[in-house]
Amino acid sequence: MALFGGSRDISLFRKVNRELMGNIISQEVVYYKCDVQETKVNMYGESSGGRVFNPPVLINALVERQDQTAPIENELVGFQWPISFKFLRDDLVDANLVTEIGDFIMWNNGYWEIDNTNANQLFVGKDPNYPYYDDNGNNPLNPGLENFGYNVSIVCTAHYVPADRLNIIKQRL
Amino acid sequence: MANISIWTGTSYFFPGDTPFGYYDYDYQFQTDADKVAKFCAQRLGYPLVDIELQSGSFYTAFEQAVTVYGNELYSFQSRDNYLSVEGASTSSFLNQALVNNNLAPVIRQSYTYAEEAGTGGNIDWYSGSIHLTSSVQDYNLGQWAIDNNVTGGIEVKKIFYDRIPAINQLYSPWAGLGPGATSAVGLTGLAGYGPATNFILMPLSYDLTNVNAIEMSNDVRLSNYSFQLINNKLKIFPIPTDEDHGLKLWFNYIKIEDRINSAIVHDGSKVNNLFKMPYTNPVYMQINSIGRSWIFEYTLALAKEMLGYIRGKYSTVPIPGAEVTLNQSDLLSAATAEKEALIARLREYFDSTSRQALLERKQAESTARQSELNQVPMTIYIG
Repeated sequence: MALFGGSRDISLFRKVNRELMGNIISQEVVYYKCDVQETKVNMYGESSGGRVFNPPVLINALVERQDQTAPIENELVGFQWPISFKFLRDDLVDANLVTEIGDFIMWNNGYWEIDNTNANQLFVGKDPNYPYYDDNGNNPLNPGLENFGYNVSIVCTAHYVPADRLNIIKQRL
Repeated sequence: MANISIWTGTSYFFPGDTPFGYYDYDYQFQTDADKVAKFCAQRLGYPLVDIELQSGSFYTAFEQAVTVYGNELYSFQSRDNYLSVEGASTSSFLNQALVNNNLAPVIRQSYTYAEEAGTGGNIDWYSGSIHLTSSVQDYNLGQWAIDNNVTGGIEVKKIFYDRIPAINQLYSPWAGLGPGATSAVGLTGLAGYGPATNFILMPLSYDLTNVNAIEMSNDVRLSNYSFQLINNKLKIFPIPTDEDHGLKLWFNYIKIEDRINSAIVHDGSKVNNLFKMPYTNPVYMQINSIGRSWIFEYTLALAKEMLGYIRGKYSTVPIPGAEVTLNQSDLLSAATAEKEALIARLREYFDSTSRQALLERKQAESTARQSELNQVPMTIYIG
């Protein structure tokens, strides 16, 4: 039977994380969720009319930035600013937000399109959402496994996108 | 998803919020409980940082601090008063009692000496007798004890095989017979009794001189009745004759095991060790500001320790994409040091007010005062 990483301990972690991210580090991003249903695509799967987004959500994140570069490709000067956004998964759950490839994140007045999402930080190696129940709703080896473990984070890696390529217009400060 | 609440900044104490409830109905404890919780939380950093404790955590620490204070206080009182309270009833508590010094332990100790001297104590002396046999000089009193079902052995305290004491050979000078007739009258059994017909009051030293003279005479001139007792083997002098045959020789003895048994009192209602000293937890409202200040500080140290253990259950806490180490080691080391310092301070404070310390201080004060007075010029008043 599992002993460590119980829900009380996880509650402490959650509080420490929210205090750290919300009150101490206080980095925030604006998350634009792509509305797939509202986005019109042609027969080739292209959204010639541009993508449609749900209303933005302000959320805490740890922003890990790499250096900005300006590579020359096809005799054109580009701009790259690789970045990763690290979210506390519980914050996303509370915001009813699912991170997916193709969503946009605004930070520091720049926009990044998500290339990949990673939910692979499991405390004590367990995700309480997967307690391995049998048909009767029991886990014969570890009853109550849904109360142990913690799926801590979702890490999104993204690439920089110039604002003029988006249908997002800043209307007010 | 469990969401355990932590300190919110305010609390409202209700009886039953502490684990043991020793002081829950003391209204000053109730009042101070919330204040102490706020004090501790703010000393730990709230509201600038979250404190992962609940009001119940602070109440628990507060209750423990009061109890530790009481333990230290009454441990000191127990040590200081033990000799005066040993053997007292455990039924009445001493928290409010003024315990004065008494001689009970000294008297108890003196019993053992009195027993050996035959002047008191709490060991029974028994009488026994043997029949003298003609021409038999040696008698085994140890065997006598076995024959008379006295278990554990005996120790003979007195053998009634001696000449008449010198005092019994001295007839009272008050009888008017004069010192010359004293020996003869003593033998009739009238020794020591005087009808007060002599109207010359002789000094007591005169009687003592006579008694000593008679005793010396008996020792030197009349080497008659005597005995030797080694390992309960009695050898009497002179050797009994046919006339002595069948006479009883009396002796006093004690049972050896009584010496130990009399020193052990089986009474569960009496104080017989430090942990039966009848002290209870203190009454919080009677603790003065000095004591309360100590309690607040000790509560803080306990709260700090609790917070350290909470933050240190896991060496690191996962955050998105990384881990952080909280300040558990700082909290624990600080709490341990503070607790030790507070206990040491309290013990030093108590020890400096022990009876012994106070008497020594008083003596020092007296000496100093005398020394000071010696410096005062003694002027001669000329009228």
